[in-house]
Amino acid sequence: MASDEVPQLNKLPANNLAMSSYTAVIRRKFARKINVHDRFARTFDGSVFWPLSQLLTGHSRNLRGLLANALAVTCIGVACGRTPAPGGTGNATSTNVAAPARGGELLVSIRTEPQSFSRFAHADATTDLVNYLTQARLVRINRNTFEVEPWLAESWTRSADGSSYTVKLRPNVTFSDGHPFTSADVEFSLALAYDVKGGGPIIGEGLEVGGKPIKAVAPDPLTVVITFPAVYAPGMRIFDDLPIVPKHKLEAALKAGTFTEAWSLSASLTDIAGLGPFVISSYQPGQRLVFARNERYFRRDASGIQLPYLDRIILDIVPDQSAQMLRLEAGQSDMLADEVRQEDYSRLKRAADAGRVQLFDLGVSLAPDSFWFNLKAGAFAKDPRSGWIQRDELRRAISLAVDRKAYLDTVSLGAGVPVFGLVTPASRKWYSPEVPQTPHDPARARQLLASIGLTDRNGDGLLEDARGTPARFSISTQKGRTAFERGAVVIRDELKKIGVTVDVVLLEGNALVGRLASGQGYDAALFQLGVTDPEPATQLALWLSSGPFHVWNSGAKTPTPWEKQIDDLMARQISTLDEAERQRLFVEVQKIFAEHLPILNFAAPTIFAATSSRVANLTPSVVRPQFLWAADTIAIKR
Amino acid sequence: MSARRAGGAILVFTALATLGASVLAPHSIDARFAGLLNAPPTAIHVRDDAGNWRAPFIYPWKRVSQLEQQYEADRSAPIPLMWLTAGHLAQSSDDARAPLLLLGADSFGRDVFSRLLFGARLSLGLSLLAAVGALLIGGLAGGIAGYLGGTVDDAMMRASDFVLVLPAMYVALALRSMMPLQLPARTVFLLLTGIFAIIGSPFITRGVRAIVRTERTLDYAAAARSLGAGHVRVLTRHLLPATRGFMVVELTLLLPAFIVAEATLSYVGLGFPDTMASWGTMLQDASSISAFADFPWLLSPAAAMFIVVFALNLTLQRGSRGLHYERPM
Amino acid sequence: MFWYVIRRLVFAAFLVFAVSSASLIVARLAPGDYAVGAMGLNATPEAMRELRARLGLDRPIAEQYVDWLSRAVRFDFGRSLANGRPVIELIAESAANTAILAATALFLATLIGLPLGVFSGSKPRGVVPAAVRTASLFLLSMPPLLTSLFLVFFAARTGWFPIAGMSSIGGGFLDLLQHMVVPVGALTLPLIAMFERLQSQATSEVIDQPFVIATLARGVPRTRVLWRDALKAALRPIASVYGLVVGTLLSGSFAVEVITAWPGLGRLMLDALRARDVYLVAGCAAAASVFLAAGTLFSDLALVLVDPRASE
Repeated sequence: MASDEVPQLNKLPANNLAMSSYTAVIRRKFARKINVHDRFARTFDGSVFWPLSQLLTGHSRNLRGLLANALAVTCIGVACGRTPAPGGTGNATSTNVAAPARGGELLVSIRTEPQSFSRFAHADATTDLVNYLTQARLVRINRNTFEVEPWLAESWTRSADGSSYTVKLRPNVTFSDGHPFTSADVEFSLALAYDVKGGGPIIGEGLEVGGKPIKAVAPDPLTVVITFPAVYAPGMRIFDDLPIVPKHKLEAALKAGTFTEAWSLSASLTDIAGLGPFVISSYQPGQRLVFARNERYFRRDASGIQLPYLDRIILDIVPDQSAQMLRLEAGQSDMLADEVRQEDYSRLKRAADAGRVQLFDLGVSLAPDSFWFNLKAGAFAKDPRSGWIQRDELRRAISLAVDRKAYLDTVSLGAGVPVFGLVTPASRKWYSPEVPQTPHDPARARQLLASIGLTDRNGDGLLEDARGTPARFSISTQKGRTAFERGAVVIRDELKKIGVTVDVVLLEGNALVGRLASGQGYDAALFQLGVTDPEPATQLALWLSSGPFHVWNSGAKTPTPWEKQIDDLMARQISTLDEAERQRLFVEVQKIFAEHLPILNFAAPTIFAATSSRVANLTPSVVRPQFLWAADTIAIKR
Repeated sequence: MSARRAGGAILVFTALATLGASVLAPHSIDARFAGLLNAPPTAIHVRDDAGNWRAPFIYPWKRVSQLEQQYEADRSAPIPLMWLTAGHLAQSSDDARAPLLLLGADSFGRDVFSRLLFGARLSLGLSLLAAVGALLIGGLAGGIAGYLGGTVDDAMMRASDFVLVLPAMYVALALRSMMPLQLPARTVFLLLTGIFAIIGSPFITRGVRAIVRTERTLDYAAAARSLGAGHVRVLTRHLLPATRGFMVVELTLLLPAFIVAEATLSYVGLGFPDTMASWGTMLQDASSISAFADFPWLLSPAAAMFIVVFALNLTLQRGSRGLHYERPM
Repeated sequence: MFWYVIRRLVFAAFLVFAVSSASLIVARLAPGDYAVGAMGLNATPEAMRELRARLGLDRPIAEQYVDWLSRAVRFDFGRSLANGRPVIELIAESAANTAILAATALFLATLIGLPLGVFSGSKPRGVVPAAVRTASLFLLSMPPLLTSLFLVFFAARTGWFPIAGMSSIGGGFLDLLQHMVVPVGALTLPLIAMFERLQSQATSEVIDQPFVIATLARGVPRTRVLWRDALKAALRPIASVYGLVVGTLLSGSFAVEVITAWPGLGRLMLDALRARDVYLVAGCAAAASVFLAAGTLFSDLALVLVDPRASE
């Protein structure tokens, strides 16, 4: 190394004249600078702790710097100790003001960018939100009561056989660009939903009955006759999904085959017209969407004031949950688009107690966490576990062995209720206490497992089957969703107590969905099957064995006898117009489900949401988007 | 001199703590205490409320609010500690209800201190091995590139640029998909070591190349060659040692980066099974505002990382004499 | 010199090509694809087939690749599968935003980190240099996610700076500066630490060398020796990795950008990777390699300038 070979120059005594006189020169210059006698200057030959020497010699340059830094640090310390001033005024619980006043702007934090401005092209969360704000539908499902409300359709009558509806449209309604709204727009929107060029599958699939499209005829500008291919009990409810878009804007694009670009992100914002309460006024990619009031919105409140109350809604794109929370607490945003996680509850509770934030307990979620095995025929063909891994008894044993209270305590911090099926108590109309609720009974679980051949044959506390294969399987879930990670760990620990070993496999989101959709490459999965409407007819994709959302056995060519039974019951349930009969049939479905347990559900968490304290007149809902589904009635407190 | 000894002592202490984790740690990695999610650390007291001296004891945590995860010490029931029992150095005598949580509990209710000790094996082992691998790969590649120059130099630099710029996440995903659903920990360890060694090498390659390029023009290299040293000998015995200081700094830069990268790669599924703790995933769990503002003990792996890196730096850095010319008068 | 630059440019073009091709091919090998991510679990196989057909994802990979290549040489890198916007446009927007952060962070880090490194490297003993060294090691051992979170938290508590985002509505230059403080801080602090460490090590090596002692002996003031003569020699390691630092900064750090909601290239690439938006990923990788090639070219030229002993 280079420096090793250098002789130790600085250790040699400086016996030459140049060095000694140099030192003397330095000392004398120093003495002259500080006006101290040369003899005293010698005292500064050695090193003195520099602030002191600076002080003593009057070289205060660095000292000034030191004092400036000390001052800055004290300022920072004082600022940190200062608590941010409370933002809102009123108390944290009331949301309704006597007479909401017009005006004000709402700042919302959203997670992702929209992929399009047209709900026909994309179904992601932000595009859906844009759709809520700028477009309107024929009917609206009230997300609180889950009942159908007339919206653009003023009233409708059902025909005698129940398969067609004559709908009277609201008169004197215009689009945001002034063009009048007529039944031609309804016809056009429905045709668009089915048109493959227009993006078909996104909306069109939800608008089919028995696989066949719905027909709409417009005899006059304010009437539409809708014909279902078969009797459809939910009726007009199905139209909550269909935004009514202006024919005059989009017809040309559809004919030319450029519909997917028509309202895409590169489109000019003035081309986008709708019947919703707001219009998009600006879009800064990656940053925010700004919505301005639609002056031609058709709704008025009870006292005749034209809705919406808000002047503007600003959606800021903030991908990180922590940053969203901090903005809400600091008053830099008014609400989060989605619910609050249980982990963040305590911070928000403190902010709510200080009056800065309003915290809402929205009740139990509609969609519980779902755990299912891969029940596809032949999925475990070459696997030594094929004798027992797809058996009903295994799943019943798991349902008995897992303590649902422990699950709730760990996964949602105790906030929630245990559930025993896909329908939670939040679904007031369809939940039934008649559906059997499995108790927590590990002994009975062991008996069930013994009945399919899984017993502890070698005394090590773990179960094996007759051939010695250990009772062991893997649960695949999504990395990054902490609720699922905790849930999988709870299931693993509970099953260890009855001798079943579980491996938790955390996969990346897209990879996991790929495996689940193809039905290959996983043993069991823990995931959430999103539900926005408790009406069972909207969930046919899940219940029917031919449905694509039939996750445990999707694309089943040969359904099991009980799956055929469910198919049959659901078909009858859709075509019966008698509400009581429908409920009875669905309870039957739930009972069959509980007996064979293709999906196990353990708990439904409580949903919390929060807004700043300046927002009033909110109608919170347990499904997303919690507040913005009724954006036209949100007001700012004065 | 004393700084180096201090650094060495800390490293030896860390190594001993890591190796003796199963004795030092009061609990196993996945022992969960369901009623103590995010519980604060239990302080060890020797004087009770009345002022009497007692054998070391702890106060159990009583949960005040489940949803808000608030706990309060139950001062009416001091629990004494048991020493050198059941293969553990220290444990609470009522472990099921009032466990000894020296660094609190995480969001699953697991003891952070035990996971820290056991995770040290995994994280430190992986990062050290990967860092040494990166230093080797980078040192050789950079040395050869700097020594030979010309087209070889260009080609190797472009190769290292390629490695730097390729989206590692895709490669990791593709690799993961080719493997069975359950990965044994050893496979993951080897795979991650290899990936990190390759990904960490570009910075080292560049630095070593620059140093070697200038050093090869210096006199001592010419002297070595004139004495008949072959190219390899000149490179390894004379030129590469000049990069020692740079390599030491890079080591301290790479170690924490690899520990964090292990957690990032676990997002694409290339992580260790849940039954093994690692500092990277512990820190990731702590990376949310509710975590580190309200439960700062979850950040202990970061403190541990700092201590290890600091000690390494103290030990390996060769001090200089400083820039002064001593005036002996 | 001229031929050197030409050669480097040719190699850079080759690198861009290699990286984008590799990322397209590897994306194919990765599990899942855009259709699965976009449509989710409840899509029918027919719907997914239709979507793939519409986006051209069901063609054989060779055909897709050739098609992409033929458009890429005309600088048309395709459209994002998710929102249909041209890839070039998306990347240009995000790269500009990231460049603002990168330039500021680099400038500040060089301005602060280099002198700190020289200072701490020249004094092996002393409280202040030891404190500087310890602070650097501390910053280096903090994961970038935590540094960003801490700064965001600090901004929230003091209320001095906006918490996230790049601008407020109708904000001007001053507003941009305010929004920039937190992300630039998150980027700069680890960079300062890295520069300080590298520079400190290099300085402490250089000042042991004979030419420094000779210069001191000639009577040149200590500060001048340190900041002029020794510094030039000690800049060697930093100059060599400077290009890599420039390249990686310009490609964006997704940890910082996600937490501070800065619409930059790092976040764009992460979202594209998650959604398997293959053309956007290829475009981002190509952009990153362009930045890296430019950065390394700049740093290699700077290296020759700084240390004349590095002969060409």
